[in-house]
Amino acid sequence: MSTKRLAVLSLLVAVACKQPSATERMDSAISWIGTAGLTGEAWLRHTTPDKFTAQTLEQSHSSLLDISTGLFKALPAGIDSAALDSALTRSNEHIGLMAKLVEQKNSPDFRSMLDSLYADEKVVKQFADSVEAKDKQ
Amino acid sequence: MGRVSGLVMQLGENTQPHVTHILVGGPTLWERVHPALARLSIRLAKLWGPKRDEPVKIPWSRVITVGKDVKLDVKAKDTGALDWEIWVARHIIERIPGGGSEEEE
Amino acid sequence: MKKILQLTLGIITSVGGFLEIGSVTTSVQAGAQFGYKLLWPIFFGTICLVFLIEMSGRLAAVSKHTIVDAMRERFGFPFFFMVLVGITIVAFLVLIAELGGIGFALQILTGIGFPWWALPVSLAVWLLMWKGSFSLIENGASFLGLITISFVVAAIKLHPDWSGVASGLLPRMPQTDKARYGFLTVSILGATISPYLMYFYSSGAIEEKWDRSYIMMNRIIAGFGMFFGGFLAMAVLIAAALALQPRGIQVDTFPQAALLMTTALPKWGFYFFAFSMLFACFGAALEFSLAIAYFFAQGFGWSWSEDLEPSKDSRFAFVYTLIILLAAVPLMLHVDPVQVTMISMALTSATLPLAIVPFLFLMNDPIYLDKHRNGWLSNSIVMIVIVISFVLAIISIPLQLIGG
Repeated sequence: MSTKRLAVLSLLVAVACKQPSATERMDSAISWIGTAGLTGEAWLRHTTPDKFTAQTLEQSHSSLLDISTGLFKALPAGIDSAALDSALTRSNEHIGLMAKLVEQKNSPDFRSMLDSLYADEKVVKQFADSVEAKDKQ
Repeated sequence: MGRVSGLVMQLGENTQPHVTHILVGGPTLWERVHPALARLSIRLAKLWGPKRDEPVKIPWSRVITVGKDVKLDVKAKDTGALDWEIWVARHIIERIPGGGSEEEE
Repeated sequence: MKKILQLTLGIITSVGGFLEIGSVTTSVQAGAQFGYKLLWPIFFGTICLVFLIEMSGRLAAVSKHTIVDAMRERFGFPFFFMVLVGITIVAFLVLIAELGGIGFALQILTGIGFPWWALPVSLAVWLLMWKGSFSLIENGASFLGLITISFVVAAIKLHPDWSGVASGLLPRMPQTDKARYGFLTVSILGATISPYLMYFYSSGAIEEKWDRSYIMMNRIIAGFGMFFGGFLAMAVLIAAALALQPRGIQVDTFPQAALLMTTALPKWGFYFFAFSMLFACFGAALEFSLAIAYFFAQGFGWSWSEDLEPSKDSRFAFVYTLIILLAAVPLMLHVDPVQVTMISMALTSATLPLAIVPFLFLMNDPIYLDKHRNGWLSNSIVMIVIVISFVLAIISIPLQLIGG
């Protein structure tokens, strides 16, 4: 009985994960960058466990990686995909490094990484706005 | 002790139809949903559980009152309606630590 | 004096036991994506729940029958069997979600992944059921659940715009993401109007031997308890709207939900969140396992009581033992509890008519309720909300599955 239910459930989940649009992909990219940002801020205040921080950052890192692989095929014409790619890659590198810095308990470097992540976030958000505008056309 | 799942009625030549027994649990119940379920329950009962061929029948003469509940003047354990309860207790529940014992009163 | 004590206890347990993974996940997702716009399903769902819980208690107090008892008697076995199958499947999914919620809370606290926690957690839940009494489960779990009041503190500390909050209490269509909006509405209604809570509550009234003298008390407990409970769910949504929406954070995973509290309560927010989820989901896991076992036992006429030794109500004990252990299996296989939660909440909405419509018939039946039958107001309010949630569920579940 329960395996049957499980099969139905995984089918539902599989159907639910149909191809998202470029706008949706950009939204999830921003969501994960924002997640990394908030997680980082909390860690700098010494109010969250190291393991939670590292794991959440790693999850953001791998989710971003997944999103950017699918993103460029779905991108509408007229978007500077090279510039977007470099912004996404840079932010993802920063998030990956932040995860490592947590393990080394290196707050000063972590803080500067977080600041550059915010700079990247702004760029990605601008791209998201123009992707959304193009998607709607 | 359980729920009434069916009634046995007698149609006489000279008397009005009257209820002779009430039935409790078992295949009678499943028969009311679908005959296939009743057959399945009979087959499963042959594999596991307390072995009994007859459904639990309680003569109408033992019924005291019928309201929202049917009251009987028999001991629940003597009717056989609790066979499954006791079987599950002996074979599964009592074997798990802390399950207690079904027999102590 | 004893009544006042019981009254206070009743309200406290209702509030402490209100939040669980369903209400938290749906509220967080709604707040993060739509701001205050989805406060109204919590609001209307809570009003409906207040009426339903009051009815469940009244039925038990007047007729000495639980909902399931009466349903089986009044509508016969074939109908009962249909409801049993529907309710059991959905309730089982919810139980998986609750166990997953406990596992997730432990995961963010310890760093050990939730699949590893599935088995120990389900054994712990089972052990409490096996050894504990009804009052221990109800009162103990709900007192610990009072930590969820921290969500209200968090919401207030983020300084919500109260006029925005007030306008969220009325339904409005969004410009974009209509399918998602509909699906979240349905999930929130399913999380709020929980039929399992009704089964649990009416069985609890029988376990505590309520009679007609409890009618007034029942009314007050249902009213205040559920109302304040709904308040907690609204606080979660408001906090998510303020902490997560501006950053564009969508809550796809559980650790992201924790961030709603680290913003609002910088110092202790993380731990408040983790322990809130731990206790709330633990309490809910107990309630759901009991509700399923009650459902079987009452429907088939087995003996049942959480206060009996397991061997004295062996079939009842067997049902909860089996479902608690089975519910751990999908989690060990890495099924995502957040997904299970969203699906099971939407399915709860879709199955509401199955659970509620026969119940309304009972509540208008003089055989069971004598002169304490329902009035037209409670009948119509419950019917309206049930119909809305059912129609929305039928439309939006396929849309969500196709649209992604």
